[in-house]
Amino acid sequence: MAQATSSSTPSVPAPLGTWGKLIRTARREPGLVLGVALLVLLLLAALFPSLFTSQSPIGVFIDRAMQPPSRDHWFGTDDVGRDIMARVIYGTRVTLAICAGSLLISAVIGGTLGLISGFFGGWTDQVLGRLVDVLLSFPPIILGVIITGVLGPDIINLVVALSIVYMPVFFRIARAGAMSEVGKTYVEAARSIGVRDSTVLSRHVMRNVLPLILTQYMILFPLILQIQAALGFLGLGVQPPTPDWGAIMEQGKDYILYAPWISVFPGLAVLIAALALMLVGRAVQKRMDQR
Amino acid sequence: MGSYLLKRLFASLLTAVLASILVFLLVRMVPGDVVAQMMGQAGGENAAGALREFFGLDQPIYMQYLTWITNVLQGNLGNSWTRGLPVTDMIGPAFLVTLEIAILTLAVATLVGVPLGILAGIYENRPLDTAIQTFNILGLAAPVFWVGLMLLVGVSAVIGWSPPLRFVPITRSLSDNLSILILPIASLGLLQAAAYSQFVRQNVVSALNQEYVRTAIAKGVPIRVVFFKHILRNVLIPIITFMGLILIQILGGTVIIESLFALPGLGRLLLTAIETRDYPVLQGALLIVVVSAMVVNLVVDLTYRLIDPRVRVA
Repeated sequence: MAQATSSSTPSVPAPLGTWGKLIRTARREPGLVLGVALLVLLLLAALFPSLFTSQSPIGVFIDRAMQPPSRDHWFGTDDVGRDIMARVIYGTRVTLAICAGSLLISAVIGGTLGLISGFFGGWTDQVLGRLVDVLLSFPPIILGVIITGVLGPDIINLVVALSIVYMPVFFRIARAGAMSEVGKTYVEAARSIGVRDSTVLSRHVMRNVLPLILTQYMILFPLILQIQAALGFLGLGVQPPTPDWGAIMEQGKDYILYAPWISVFPGLAVLIAALALMLVGRAVQKRMDQR
Repeated sequence: MGSYLLKRLFASLLTAVLASILVFLLVRMVPGDVVAQMMGQAGGENAAGALREFFGLDQPIYMQYLTWITNVLQGNLGNSWTRGLPVTDMIGPAFLVTLEIAILTLAVATLVGVPLGILAGIYENRPLDTAIQTFNILGLAAPVFWVGLMLLVGVSAVIGWSPPLRFVPITRSLSDNLSILILPIASLGLLQAAAYSQFVRQNVVSALNQEYVRTAIAKGVPIRVVFFKHILRNVLIPIITFMGLILIQILGGTVIIESLFALPGLGRLLLTAIETRDYPVLQGALLIVVVSAMVVNLVVDLTYRLIDPRVRVA
């Protein structure tokens, strides 16, 4: 950060074109550019998996089982001869959609409750705050394990569990944001001219708290991805034959010393996706802090 | 301090009670009837009714909770439904395994993470910092079970060694015990070291940017003195606070790592109890995990107040 300001202050910057701007950003924040590039690639894989592979992610070919990576199967094949590369690529959509959706549910429910709690205070705030404290006393992964374990492995249950895990975090962020807005003059002014509380909340306060929630969404995304993968790995997440990164690793666990490629590549996919999300999340947070 | 301590203890106690209710309800969210599931097709209505009465499932749910919590407060977590053993006898040894993993992992994370973070902070934006930051972000992004698997494969491919399959408690043989734990601890410890180092780096950088540190450097105080007197002192407090966070992360991480390396700790006990629908064991293990996390938080909070006079006054 110190470097960025010192290099930009001395001379008046000449007007730059789109490419110039892009190159300048790339030089200043290589992490952000790498993150965005990886995210674009992941999004393409999620939306158009057939662009990246011609193999089927669920086609079983027993005669081709457990083959190490080769020209025909870049990532090798699993114990029933399915192509690992196709499974990892098709798994992108399943894994990322589950994470993005669950986190969105957390953000909407947790954020709304937090806004209400922080804005109105009083009893609602006391009760909700207590509940959130209780949820926060569980280590996140354990909460995920218990909920999916008890409800049974199923995509809906997985989404329920994952959306509960980080709901308290969104609640706290939104609550703190709403509380700091309540004291501001514009809220007082709006109230004094007779604007209803619900309108102040939804029109003004929410608009100011939303950036905080969005930043938090970006920060939590890689974390929820790791929990999702861990649950899959424990056999509590997506069930085979649906391709999902965690579930592919669960399947490869038993063959780890004979056929490590089954687990290596889906794990690498989790790592790359989490890395991309973290790089972008950090850049977003830095911008927010500067504001 | 006294009144704060009382308030804090009361709040923790209230959270613990609410958490115990949540634990109890969570376990009972199981769809379908557990007894029916246990008996399968065999047995008639009479047998099922008898079983339900035996487990206390015929009582209303609040009565079941009261019975359970009264026993818990007397140190009795009930008996396992699948193995007949007292739950405390099952949790005791499992807790020791998890505790050993947690302490050793914390040691690795601290010994690796803190020095790396300090170095990265001092050499901000130089190649060494870039290298350490790369390690940090990779460590934060890598899934723990994958790192465990990769270490397992890597070690066996490079030196042809793989850890023994049967767990040996530390009380029987230290060397055998450690040879089993080395890979799980390395995988968990390195990842937590990355988180630790990242955190310490941020604190060192912000300490270096303080006016008084700049003044000290500008007036010619030797860097070593500045470091120990001004920077380290200020960074020490967040380092200790973060230790608690890391410990809670480790507590969660052990569930995965114990399952991967077949270690008989709390996490594995929890997973087995879920699979076999063993309510008493599940409730007991979960309660121990939550209470442990709470105690860690409480201790961190109090240490923080004890060592930082600024917080004490405020």
